Amino acid sequence: MQNPYIPYPVVVDKIITEVDTKDIKTFRFRFVNPEDEQKYAYIPGQFGELSIFGKGESPIGIASSPTQKGYVEFTVQKAGVVTSALHEMEEGTIMGIRGPLGNSWPLEFLEGKNIVIVGGGFAFTTLRSLINYMIFGENRKRFGNITVIYGARNPGLLLYKDELTEWGKRTDLNLNVTVDKGDATWKGREGFVPAVCKEVAPSKENAVAVICGPPVMIRFTLPVFFELGFSKENIITSLEMRMKCGIGKCGRCNVGSKYVCKDGPVFSLAELDKLTPEY
Amino acid sequence: MEKRLIKKDALAGIAKKMAGDAMVWAPVKKEDNVLFAPLGAGDEPVFAYLNSKNAPKNVFFPHTETLMKFTRTPKGMEFSSEVKKSGQSVLFGVRPCDAHSFVLLDKLFDQEKYKDGYYIDKRKSTTVISLACVKPPYATCFCTSVDGEPVSADGADILLTDLGGDYLAEFITEKGEKLASYFGDAKADAAADAKKAEMAAKAKEAIRSKIPAHEIKPILDKNFDNPFWDTIHRKCLACGTCTFMCPTCHCFDISDEVKGSDGVRIRSWDSCMFPLFTKETSGHNPRPSQKERWRQRTMHKFKYYIDMFNAISCVGCGRCVMACPVNIDIRKVVEDISKL
Repeated sequence: MQNPYIPYPVVVDKIITEVDTKDIKTFRFRFVNPEDEQKYAYIPGQFGELSIFGKGESPIGIASSPTQKGYVEFTVQKAGVVTSALHEMEEGTIMGIRGPLGNSWPLEFLEGKNIVIVGGGFAFTTLRSLINYMIFGENRKRFGNITVIYGARNPGLLLYKDELTEWGKRTDLNLNVTVDKGDATWKGREGFVPAVCKEVAPSKENAVAVICGPPVMIRFTLPVFFELGFSKENIITSLEMRMKCGIGKCGRCNVGSKYVCKDGPVFSLAELDKLTPEY
Repeated sequence: MEKRLIKKDALAGIAKKMAGDAMVWAPVKKEDNVLFAPLGAGDEPVFAYLNSKNAPKNVFFPHTETLMKFTRTPKGMEFSSEVKKSGQSVLFGVRPCDAHSFVLLDKLFDQEKYKDGYYIDKRKSTTVISLACVKPPYATCFCTSVDGEPVSADGADILLTDLGGDYLAEFITEKGEKLASYFGDAKADAAADAKKAEMAAKAKEAIRSKIPAHEIKPILDKNFDNPFWDTIHRKCLACGTCTFMCPTCHCFDISDEVKGSDGVRIRSWDSCMFPLFTKETSGHNPRPSQKERWRQRTMHKFKYYIDMFNAISCVGCGRCVMACPVNIDIRKVVEDISKL
């Protein structure tokens, strides 16, 4: 049996600087032992521990979709010891990843429903995984309408710009990208995510909202969805906590009786209501 | 079940004989304390002891433990992923409360998903010999309130009970039976059983400290925001002693240590009493003050562990009560909660 504390060796295959401020990069990893890719079979919404020897580990949501073969991607903001070291890395370096960890976006629950995806800023990563999964080939038929509302503070902070352009061309995906404030070149929408949600006003009929973003965005977006008639069972989000082991043993990421690493990070609002408000 | 009688003064000899064949952890005197340590040549085990200063959880879950080793190479890092297999060992003479803690820790480390190989390997290769408390050692003992008993085979492979002149040795598990040959060949008779039952009842009676540990679960379910939580922590120094002494506390940190081009990833005991335990890189801390940390510790033991594993995560050893530098008493905390 796989020792859950030991990472799989990976090669940093490609580094993409996502934003103008250069502090958010997407890291594409290729497994050193090709057979490990099979063992790392994941579902959108799961996370991994990025492992840099001598520095430590950092839990990060998986940004690629399992439909993308041959590699796995994480989009990482430079913040602490591990992520700063990661940002200094060069392509070709060998490091480690553990996982996949945690539950995932509830794909079975989402199937056959209209999906509303709301993302803000840097929290868009596992939503990107979900979108790419849902629109991939035959998968698209398994879901109803897909509405995406994605916002960033300014155009330079939008992630996955090439993909946004591609998604915008699709007729089977209603993409709404917004920035708090545009610049000279910005021709798109301006406005905060909650306001855009109100404008787009997705129907609650057979619909599930998957919402991920900074606390301030969540705080003002939830009332919009309640007003639209979405039930707490049909609003899904993902939590972040300080983590170490990632497998429910080291004891720090619990919210009440649930470990965010093992029982989460994905919860419905109805599930969160049953937990203690300690996150 | 195989049962034998052994002369009281033969016990240390048995432990020493075993130590010639396997690693034996036994209570030994270290300065003013009795602690469990590997018995070396010339070491004298002490079986007439109250309880060990520290809980013996470190036998399965050491203070610090290497998870993996790595070496820097021109291409990045290479690492070794072996879990070092430990040889057979014996934990000789633990108190029943501490043996009970192993059963509780098993629930966490040996779950169906995500098995902790480091803990499980040591646990499986170790035979636990419990030494019953025929005279409960401390006024702070409250094992009978938390599903324990002073004379109990819970968590033990062999149970030793002091009957006065002799020890009754009961071989509870197959693992325990394998060591039967060390214990001589005097079979225990029905009289020994009767004597043991009588002593067990007396010992149970002698535990005077009782707390409503089971009664507070429904109260904790509903009182996360009770103003009571503003009271316990006020004198807490956040030293973490309670968690380090606790037989069931299992929180740990994972960190890397590097020397030259070689390094190790280790895990070390951590504590929910420390501010950094939950502090995130952003600066946000979901448990920002000692109030939330005390609530977490109390809830974890008397509510969350029950929700997760259907067991209270306290064995009533009283170590935290005795060691707290500011006299915070978990028995009083539980008592107070029961009155909310």
